[in-house]
Amino acid sequence: MPRIPGIRRLLHIQRGGAGVDRAVDDELRFHFDMTMRELMANGMTPDQARAEAQRRFGNAQQTRERLAAIDRSVVERERRADWSSAFAQDLRYALRGIRLKPWFAGAVILTLGLGIGANATMFGIVDRLLFRPPNFLIAPNRSSRLYLVQSYRGDAKPESSMGYRRYLDLKEGTTSFDAMTPYYINVVAVGAGDGTRAVAVAASGADLWKMFDVKPVRGRFFTPEEDAPPAGTRVVVLSYAFWQTQFGGRTDAIGASLDVGPAKYTVIGVAPEGFNGFAAGSVAAFVPLSAQGGVDLGVRTKDPWYSTYNMTWFDTFARRKPGVSAEAASADLDHAYQQSYIKQLEGNPTQTRFDIARPHAFAGPVLEDRGPNEGSDAKVTTWLVGVAGVVLLIACANVANLLLARALKRRREIAVRIALGVSRGRLLMQLVTESLLLAAMGGVAGLVIAEWGGGVMRRVLLNRSDTGPSAFADPRLLLFAAALTVATGLLTGLAPVFQTGRGDVASALKAGSREGTVHRSRLRVGLLVAQAALSVVLLVGAGLFLRSLSNVQNVRMGYDVDRLLWVKLNARGVTSDSIEDVALRNRLVERAKSLPGVEHAARALSVPFWNTWGFSLFVAGIDSVDKLGDFTLQSATPEFFQTMGTRILRGRAFTSADGEHAPRVMVVGESMAKKIWPTQDAIGKCIRVDVDTMPCTTVIGIAEDVRRGSMSETQMHYYLPIDQFQRRSGGVFVRTHGPAAERAEEVRRALQTLMVGTSYVAVTPMSTIVASQIRPWKMGAAMFSIFGALALVLAAIGLYSVIAYNVTQRTHEMGVRVALGAQAQDVVGLIVREGLLIVLPGVALGAIIALVAGRWVAPLLFNVSPKDPPVLVGVIVTLVAVAVAASWIPALRASKVDPNVALRAD
Amino acid sequence: MATIELDLLQGTLDLLVLKTLTWGPRHGYAVTAWIRQTTSQRLQIEEGALYTALHRMEKRGWLESEWGLSENNRKAKYYQLTTLGRKQLRAKTAVWTEYAGAVFTVLQTT
Repeated sequence: MPRIPGIRRLLHIQRGGAGVDRAVDDELRFHFDMTMRELMANGMTPDQARAEAQRRFGNAQQTRERLAAIDRSVVERERRADWSSAFAQDLRYALRGIRLKPWFAGAVILTLGLGIGANATMFGIVDRLLFRPPNFLIAPNRSSRLYLVQSYRGDAKPESSMGYRRYLDLKEGTTSFDAMTPYYINVVAVGAGDGTRAVAVAASGADLWKMFDVKPVRGRFFTPEEDAPPAGTRVVVLSYAFWQTQFGGRTDAIGASLDVGPAKYTVIGVAPEGFNGFAAGSVAAFVPLSAQGGVDLGVRTKDPWYSTYNMTWFDTFARRKPGVSAEAASADLDHAYQQSYIKQLEGNPTQTRFDIARPHAFAGPVLEDRGPNEGSDAKVTTWLVGVAGVVLLIACANVANLLLARALKRRREIAVRIALGVSRGRLLMQLVTESLLLAAMGGVAGLVIAEWGGGVMRRVLLNRSDTGPSAFADPRLLLFAAALTVATGLLTGLAPVFQTGRGDVASALKAGSREGTVHRSRLRVGLLVAQAALSVVLLVGAGLFLRSLSNVQNVRMGYDVDRLLWVKLNARGVTSDSIEDVALRNRLVERAKSLPGVEHAARALSVPFWNTWGFSLFVAGIDSVDKLGDFTLQSATPEFFQTMGTRILRGRAFTSADGEHAPRVMVVGESMAKKIWPTQDAIGKCIRVDVDTMPCTTVIGIAEDVRRGSMSETQMHYYLPIDQFQRRSGGVFVRTHGPAAERAEEVRRALQTLMVGTSYVAVTPMSTIVASQIRPWKMGAAMFSIFGALALVLAAIGLYSVIAYNVTQRTHEMGVRVALGAQAQDVVGLIVREGLLIVLPGVALGAIIALVAGRWVAPLLFNVSPKDPPVLVGVIVTLVAVAVAASWIPALRASKVDPNVALRAD
Repeated sequence: MATIELDLLQGTLDLLVLKTLTWGPRHGYAVTAWIRQTTSQRLQIEEGALYTALHRMEKRGWLESEWGLSENNRKAKYYQLTTLGRKQLRAKTAVWTEYAGAVFTVLQTT
């Protein structure tokens, strides 16, 4: 029997439960009637005949049930076949639609692709920052990063950085954890000669290997014995990638010697591919914390790194024992920290008193950006997720609009099909299949965009060198994109479905395009209003971030960012005394100054945004200078101020006369001078550094303020001659004639020739250092601009298509108008006014939303009010201009209507 | 052993029903009546089992059914062989003949 879908319903053939039972009954009744009739014809009485028939048949009830069960399974199978054939038909139909109108389909797929792609890109990044636990982590729910809180001037800021003595106190003082390890990432030079690379090296305890489900690919991991202070054992576990690239994946790498920073380590194992410990980026090698501590921090006899509280450099990670609640663990930790603090107080009575510091600890999320100290990247990214969502909404509105326009055109076709008896359910199925197919293609396009966009985002905006997995190979991303695709397919399919679902068959059949009433879909107009509003919101965001970016780039830093290079010295394999250290640094300065492209060079102790030095200060007549705020110091050679471009406002800078044994002098920043001596002249004042018994340091000059800890505020800062403070430390600032970044390699090569042995210099343009500070605004400006422009284009296309559609609907009316003497400009004015009438409410709505939402975005802006009038006005003008332009083209077409043609058409 | 007997019996029933239908479409009663007459009641087959065989073979696509009118003008369900059913009949007949021949040879051995 050929299978014709729908034929059963058409012929009213009963199927399913009751139908099957009745059919079986009919068949068996016929059988019994016939048997009895034959038996009675042979002379039996009815009773005898019935008994004989039943005997011959066997258990009738059981057979009846068995037959019904068989038939029901047949019916079920047929129903499934009907479904899949209907689906295949819908799919064929949808594909034919796409083939027939490739431009329409292309527009829809591209629009959805952009929307889904934007979201998939953002998801990939946010997932990495906020949700995905580190690879191989055994119990993400029970693992934590530990945070310590201490009140300081009324502020209680959680701090994850701690030192070894504290870590030991916490490990020994708690019972809630079955694993605890320090974890510290240090970028150091690894390898020797040409193979030397600056890579991330992780230093940790042996518990690291307990917290992850990893087995060495080769060799072994390090043991607790190899991580024992004071200097551990110099062994290193390679990452899989480093083993492959630097050792070619050879087995004889085990036992080889490897330069890690200034020391030689023995390779003992290789970690599995993709293992980075707790780090977000890729890690090249893993060493015991004690080995690294012994090398980098030295083994001093007094107050060494493993027994001092006064040095903090790593984060600590811990895993709760199974069954221990997070609250119980934090309480346990809290207690241990307080005991540790009391111990610390016993050794150092000048430490902040217990009742003032109110020390307190807790186990926070493993991912840093989930915890209390989230980075500004994470904050901006979270915002951008919302923005990407808005873009997708706009894309959906646009596609729904396009599908609606088409559904309106197909009203008659659909009405005919309903009249022919196609059920509405089937019709809806078909429409949804169509939009789902388009969405699926859009989803694939979106993944392509995400693959590309994710790479660009990570490289350019987040400055992460780690190449994440391909968008197509990331199951979480694929799942997200699939969910998004289905949601958009349903969302965009739903709008036309509403329209057709409501359709009045009779009127649709009767009406030609010359019908008196014009179909103006309220849904379509509503979608446009929403699009315009959302575009305004995004564009206002873009404007605010662009203004912030321009402000942050134009802010006076107190030094000339673009013309500075920082030269850092990395000593390897040499032991030097202080005389050699000073001489080498001075030679570097002289060599740099001799280069043609270099204007000035000076030695300095610290680098803005990278590191700070601070000491307690004492001034006669002031109870506690420390309470006035944070004062940071720089020590430098006399040429420092010219090199940096930092202006001396009053007094003088250092000279070569301010030597090691000369009277102590200092230059203070303007805001520091005002803070300490609000009513007096700071010059000539005496200030004591570190302890109040130190000799006077005399203020000799006042310098302009600098920004070196945050872009948004200046730092209270002072300068000491480097000969009087840390004379053998620090690096060299070089001031070039042109943009410094272009000279970096030239300077590096010239200075490298002065380095001894395997020691080397690293040259970083100051602009690179500052760029990472500006990044959140740059990212916000770039992404808001891209998304905002996207939204604007989508809204313009949407408006154009609606106006154009209305114009075609009203060709007849326009013909009449022109015939009655309307001028072209009247017609154009009429249509453009219509476009504005749709857009203006959207613009107003968007402006209100932007003003309200501004409150939340304000903390991310730089010297711009979220209600910045130029931005608002600019955006509104842009939108109105776009609306006029979008309705102009169809309006022109309407004005050229030939009344003769228009009135005779249809 | 028991399952083999059951399989044998079921296969035999299928074979009988298929054979019956080679003379054209019949309803269930006609099939049972024909088998009873042809075997001269030597095979004691429950008619319920025959119906089960009919429905099961319809599910497998060996038979197809259609409601029609019987000789005495009553609604009855007529079964008819499909191409697949004919093929099955040929295959089963060959197997059964060989099987029966083998058993017979054994029994004839003196």
